[in-house]
Amino acid sequence: MTHQLSPQEEQEKLLDEAMQVVKVQSFQMKRCLDKAKLMDGLKHASNMLSELRTSMLSPKSYYELYMAICDELRYLEQYLADEFQKGHKVADLYELVQYAGNIIPRLYLLVTVGVVYIKANDHNRKDILKDLVEMCRGVQHPLRGLFLRNYLLQCTRNSLPDCQEGEETQTGTVKDSIDFILLNFAEMNKLWVRMQHQGHSRDREKREKERLELRILVGTNLVRLSQLDTMVVDMYKKNVLPGVLEQTVSCRDYIAQEYLMECIIQVFPDEFHLQTLNSFLKACADLHKLVNVKNIIIALIDRLALFAHRDDGSGIPSDIKLFDIFSQQVSSVIQAREDMPTEDIVSLQVSLINLALKCYPDRVDYVDKVLETTVEIFNRLNLERLESSSAVCKELSRLLKIPVDNYNNLLTVLQLKHFAPLFEFFDYESRKIMAAYVINNALENSLYIPTQEQTDAVLTLVAPLVQDQNDQPQEEEDPEDFSEEQNMMGRFINLLISDDADQQYMILTTSRKHFGNGGNKRIKYTLPPLVFSAFQLAYRYRDIAEEDDKWEKKCQKIFTFCHQTIGALIKAELSELPLRLFLQGAVTAGEIGFDNHETVAYEFMSQAFSLYEDEISDSRAQLAAITLIIATFERMSCFGEENHEPLRTQCALAASKLLKKPDQCRGVSTCSHLFWSGRTVESEGKEIQDGKRVMECLKKSLRIANQCMDNSVQVQLFVEILNRYIYFYERGNDAVTVQVLNQLIEKIREDLPNLEGNEETEQINKHFQNTIEHLRMKQEAPESDGPAYDGLVL
Amino acid sequence: MAAEPDLSADTRRLNTKKQTLDDAYAAPANFLEIDVCNPETHGFGKKRYSDYEVRMRTNLPVFKLKESSVRRRYSDFEWLRTELERDSKIVVPPLPGKAWKRQLPFRGDDGIFEEDFIEERRQGLEAFVNRVAGHPLAQNERCLHMFLQEPVIDKNYVPGKVRNT
Repeated sequence: MTHQLSPQEEQEKLLDEAMQVVKVQSFQMKRCLDKAKLMDGLKHASNMLSELRTSMLSPKSYYELYMAICDELRYLEQYLADEFQKGHKVADLYELVQYAGNIIPRLYLLVTVGVVYIKANDHNRKDILKDLVEMCRGVQHPLRGLFLRNYLLQCTRNSLPDCQEGEETQTGTVKDSIDFILLNFAEMNKLWVRMQHQGHSRDREKREKERLELRILVGTNLVRLSQLDTMVVDMYKKNVLPGVLEQTVSCRDYIAQEYLMECIIQVFPDEFHLQTLNSFLKACADLHKLVNVKNIIIALIDRLALFAHRDDGSGIPSDIKLFDIFSQQVSSVIQAREDMPTEDIVSLQVSLINLALKCYPDRVDYVDKVLETTVEIFNRLNLERLESSSAVCKELSRLLKIPVDNYNNLLTVLQLKHFAPLFEFFDYESRKIMAAYVINNALENSLYIPTQEQTDAVLTLVAPLVQDQNDQPQEEEDPEDFSEEQNMMGRFINLLISDDADQQYMILTTSRKHFGNGGNKRIKYTLPPLVFSAFQLAYRYRDIAEEDDKWEKKCQKIFTFCHQTIGALIKAELSELPLRLFLQGAVTAGEIGFDNHETVAYEFMSQAFSLYEDEISDSRAQLAAITLIIATFERMSCFGEENHEPLRTQCALAASKLLKKPDQCRGVSTCSHLFWSGRTVESEGKEIQDGKRVMECLKKSLRIANQCMDNSVQVQLFVEILNRYIYFYERGNDAVTVQVLNQLIEKIREDLPNLEGNEETEQINKHFQNTIEHLRMKQEAPESDGPAYDGLVL
Repeated sequence: MAAEPDLSADTRRLNTKKQTLDDAYAAPANFLEIDVCNPETHGFGKKRYSDYEVRMRTNLPVFKLKESSVRRRYSDFEWLRTELERDSKIVVPPLPGKAWKRQLPFRGDDGIFEEDFIEERRQGLEAFVNRVAGHPLAQNERCLHMFLQEPVIDKNYVPGKVRNT
């Protein structure tokens, strides 16, 4: 059985055989020419060219064969050129080669001779060119015809007339070149499109692939046109482009159309495109429905957008309304092509918006116009709730991100009236992603939102981050992501800043309304920054007190606002957070000192106490809270004795009521400071320094320490109390005597060795030793203004 | 200046009508594609036979149907060939061989029902019917139309020419 050749092997074999013939015949041809046997030379050339008559080769193999033969033909061309130089007759030869028996060799030879003729003497150039391009009609086989015409294009490359009208008409003008190329283009395109109809219909894909491999042959015509130096824009507009478009549109072949439209964009200069936008874009509307018009238009837009940015400053001429033209034409393309996928429609809007931003950076209205068109299209298509995984949704996100990224200014984005309406087409997930994108952009650019209206607009836009949505999924989202998202909103609140205090207040109330609807899980992130922002505003009013005679009333209002806002947090079953905010408010009110500030501060303090008593039950949290209350209160100086007394008593009482003895002990000893460095209106900013009361506190805490059952904790507490004694002794509290110190030191010395030897004991011991060391130093080198430690037993 | 040879005589030509764009890009008017495919073997013993789907697509006006599909066995192709040989003036191409050897008894394999053989025969029949149907003169023969487009071949038909154009 004979070995069956694979199609590829078959091709290789056929090509190889043809190449052998080319080799032999070209050798013979050269030999004859060298011996000046022109007729024999032509005969061998013809034999060689006959190999191109084959129908067996694939386009790829045919191309290889064609290239090999072209190489050899150059020898003939050179020989003929030399002959003509020597004065041989040309016209005879032109007729002579037409006797070649087969049309393929005949036409290749005719082209070769014709071009030599033109080069030697361009007198009849115009006629010969016309003759050649017409004669090539004789080959209607697609593959053979395409290559023959390509040969014609290659040979005439440097011989086409390229001068203006009115000069020598015999040799032809640029207009003749245009006609020549356009005719050749039309014929080649016809052959190329016709190739599609060859062979069995089941091989369609293979044929499409082959056609794509050959497209460059057709495109070369357009390249030649673009290389005509004297072709002016007017010719392009009236003659060239209409000619090319006529063929392109009429051929109704999507492969050809897609390629040729791209080709037009790429080979001709931007200046030409600018003058022919309408006709080019109109043609786009008429293309086959399989043509990806979107890509073509985008390619053109991108090119022109680049052109507008060119360094040489030429830019887009002002008389060309680039945006308007594109905007109109794109919408007619969309209307003409009913089956265009929605995502492609949006892609087109993406490039329109890019065009607007690149060519007309100041025209916000252009960008808005694109968005408006998009809204209209969506409404017409009755779209709603785009799935976040859909292509349309992705394109729409891309569209909306462009103005955000380009302006880097949320306020400018807010000027786009049709930006927010487009959000409504997104599903919940995409809406939230886009909202986060917008907010992040503002954060990255530290962009302040200076008015109430803008605040309202932004918070409405990013509603999915502010409050629950009707369409949000049932299941809880990842707590970490949620916390990150809400922290972002917290940061964003810090950007809501107006130069004008009254405006700032309106911003606060507006954003309070939005964030107030956020539900318990959100407000713990969003309300605290609002409260702090309000505190800051109160300071601002104090600073501008002289300009604003109503400032005190306004401060009062702000604290009412804060009180109520913190109240919302309490309702959300939070306790420590509102407690801290109340304390901060008390300090702030005290410092600002507006009319009625003492009442406000007292109210805030008492609210803190209520929270402490009603809401905080964990003993450790209680100690922390009361310590914070005491510390805050200690720093405040706005209270008169009438208010100060109950508050400090309350502190002491709360401390002594702590559940665990060590906590009680520590709380009470901390309270001692209130009686020393506390300040009242009556003390006029000076510390009250009630030494006796301090001593009472410390004695009480010592008593409590004595009640502790855990020795180790007890000694630890003794050491801590010793330190408080020393603190007050050094501050000059007479009630603390050296005798008191000696007693406590002795007590500690007695107890310390009985403790179990462990790390904790080690620490207590260290603390004690450091304290003793401190005392020793003070004793040995007393400071001049410090108290003496006479009689201290170390 | 010496007179230049005038080329206009060499390049002169007849005036022909310009081809319209519709003509230039129209799909060919003589599209005809016949596939012989989906071979199936039916019956048992002596009555066992294979047949093939003959599927045709065309835009030639002479054919009544633009798309048709019928099932034919080898003997139907033989019938078509005989009819054309007798009535038409064309040289009818040969059919693939009858493979007598494969029909002898006591073979180790399935004879003419071997898959390889059926495929080989299918290719031969496809080439045959495409060549025949592509011939303009054969396209007028009633037998060809019946073979390609009628579900059942009526062997008692009246031979003659078809004129659908």
